[in-house]
Amino acid sequence: MDLLESVAVALEALRTHKLRSFLTMLGVIIGVAAVIALVSVGQTARSSVAGEFTSLGPDLLWVLPGKAKEDSPFPTEVARLTLTASDALAIRRGAASVADVAPMLQTSVEVSGGGRRTTTTVIGTWPGLLAVRGLALQAGRFLQEADMTRRRRVAVLGPTLAARLYRVPQQAVGRRLTVNGRAFEVVGVLRAQGSILGVDLDDRAYLPLPTAQQLFNITYVSFLFVKASDVESVPRAARDTQRILLREHGEEDFTVLTQSQLLASLSAILRILTIALSSIAAISLVVGGIGIMNIMLVSVTERTREIGIRKAIGARRLDILTQFLVEAVGLSLVGGILGTAVGLAISWEISLRLLHSAPAPASMFPVVVLAFSFSALVGVIFGVYPAWRAASLHPIEALRYE
Amino acid sequence: MSPPSAKPVVALREITKVYRTGRVPVPALQGVSLEIAAGEFVAVMGPSGSGKSTLLNLIGCLDRPTSGTYLLDGADVSRLPDDALAEVRNRRIGFVFQTFNLLPRYTALRNVEMPMVYAGVPRADRRRRALEALAQVGLVPRAHHTPQELSGGEQQRVAIARALVNTPAILLADEPTGNLDSRSGEEILAVFQDLNARGMTIAVVTHDSNVARHARRILHLRDGRLVGDEPVFDPRPARAALA
Repeated sequence: MDLLESVAVALEALRTHKLRSFLTMLGVIIGVAAVIALVSVGQTARSSVAGEFTSLGPDLLWVLPGKAKEDSPFPTEVARLTLTASDALAIRRGAASVADVAPMLQTSVEVSGGGRRTTTTVIGTWPGLLAVRGLALQAGRFLQEADMTRRRRVAVLGPTLAARLYRVPQQAVGRRLTVNGRAFEVVGVLRAQGSILGVDLDDRAYLPLPTAQQLFNITYVSFLFVKASDVESVPRAARDTQRILLREHGEEDFTVLTQSQLLASLSAILRILTIALSSIAAISLVVGGIGIMNIMLVSVTERTREIGIRKAIGARRLDILTQFLVEAVGLSLVGGILGTAVGLAISWEISLRLLHSAPAPASMFPVVVLAFSFSALVGVIFGVYPAWRAASLHPIEALRYE
Repeated sequence: MSPPSAKPVVALREITKVYRTGRVPVPALQGVSLEIAAGEFVAVMGPSGSGKSTLLNLIGCLDRPTSGTYLLDGADVSRLPDDALAEVRNRRIGFVFQTFNLLPRYTALRNVEMPMVYAGVPRADRRRRALEALAQVGLVPRAHHTPQELSGGEQQRVAIARALVNTPAILLADEPTGNLDSRSGEEILAVFQDLNARGMTIAVVTHDSNVARHARRILHLRDGRLVGDEPVFDPRPARAALA
C-alpha cells in the first residue's frame, strides 16, 4: 500500500470520528500554541529590549551599587546604597576616557500641578545628563550648574508627564509643580524618548540633584551614568571607572556595566525565562501525545475486525502499521498546524499589546518548524505502540472479534 | 469431477493443527491429507467442532499447520512467515465469509479495490478491474453504495467480487449462505456454480447438506479427521431453484 493510500485511509478514519479526533488534537493544539506563543514573545522581547538599549547610545556605561557575584553580571546586594555624587565627581575628574558623568537619584513619588496629581518617577541629576543621554528639549531649558549650587526648586519634565498635568507640554514651562509638598517651577520640557522594557521614559520629572537629596533627605544616588569619550574608549572608561571607585571606596561594593554586558545579560535572562516557560509548555505536548496514544489504542480495539478483514485480503504487517501510524501522525500534525496558527495569533497579539511591536516573521520560522516537527514526532512516538498492536493481531482472532 | 491428470491446486499431506490457547492442547486437525484439483467445486461438511473451519483457515493461509505440508499450486506454504502468507492470501486466495466482512465505511467499489491496493495495482487499473469483478456478480449499479445500503445477498456478492478481483487460484467460502435467506443463498450458490463452470476452483465449508449438494465433491470431517470423500454426480443447479 502506497503512502497516498494510507493517508486517504487515515483521513477517512479521522473524519468518521470528528469530535473524538478534535478533542484528541486539542492537547497537541494547546501544547504547540503555548510553545510558539511563549518562544515568540520571548524572542520579540529580546529583540525589542536590544533595540531599546542600543538606542541609548553605545558609549554609555552604568555604575550600579553593590557587587555582582561571579556568576551574575548584576549586583546582588542592591540594598547597600554605596554610590554618591562625589563618586561621580571623582570619575569625571580622574578619567580621561570619560566624557561626562551623571549621577541619578531615582524615586517614585506623587506630584501635582495644573490642578491634577499623579505618581511619576522623579530623578535628581546633574546638567550633564542632557549630553550623557543625548536628550533634547522641546521647550524651555534643562537643569544648569546654578540650579545645583543654589539648590533651586526647578524641574524639567518629560513630555508624557507634562501632558498629563498641563495638557499641552509646551505650555508647562513657568507653571508650578508640587513634589513632596514643596513647590517647583517647571523650566523645561524634553522631547519624547520612548519607552524601555515597557517603562515610559517620558513620564519623568528631573530635579537638580542637591535639591532632590535635600527634598528626600538622602545622601546617596541610585546609580551613575558614565559616558565614554567615544565608542572605542568604552573598555578603557570601564577600567578607569572601576579603578577610581575602588580607590574611593576601598572595596569593590559597586558594579560597572557596559552596554554590551548589560544587553548580553538581559538577553540571557530573557532566554532562560523563555526556555523555562516553553519547556513547561512542551510538557503539555507530551500530555497531548499520551491522549493520542490512548485514543489510538481504543481505535485499534474498536477496529480489530477491520484489521482482520484487511489482513485476510492480503494486508501485510507494514500495511497495517503504516495505516495506524499515519492516522496518529495525522492527528498530531493537524493539531500541530492548528496549534501553530493559534500560537502565532496569540504571540502577535501579545507582542502588539505588551511590546508595541509585531513579531519578526523571520524569527518565527525556526520555532514554527521546531514545534511542527515536534508535534509530528509526538504522533510517531505515541502512535507506534498502538499501530504495532494492530499490526501484530492474528488474522483469525481479529476476524472472530465481536 | 476433475480430470485425474490435472495438477492439484491444493495438496495437504498429514496436516495437524493443535491449539494451545488454554492449559490443555486442543487438537483441531489430526492428520488430514487431501487434494483439490484445478476446476473443482468442493464442499467441506461436518458438525461444529469437526475442524472444518480450521481446515479452511489453513487452506486460506490465515494460519499455519502444526505439522504436515501444504502445497498451494505446487509451492510449499506451510512454513511461510506472516508477511509471505499475507502476500499468498492477497494473490492466490479469495475469501468469502459468513458475515460478509466488508469494510463498513467503504463503497462496494472501494471494498473490491482493497485487495488490489495491497497488491500495489495502479489506481486506474484498480477501478477498471473492480468494476469488471462487480460486473461478474451483477452489482455494477450498486458500485457506489456502502454495505449498510445493500441487502445481505448483495453484500455477499460484493464480497465475492472482492475475492475474485486478484484472480486467485482458489475461492474459499466459510458458510457463505449462513446469514442469508434461502433465496439469497441460492443466488450466491448460483454465482459459485457459474464461476466454477468458467473454471474457478472453489471450496465451501458448510454444515448444511443442501448447500453441499450444489458442489461436485463433498468432504466429510469429524473430530479433526477426514472421514468421507464422495463425488456428487448430479449437483443441484441453483439456477433451477431460482426459476
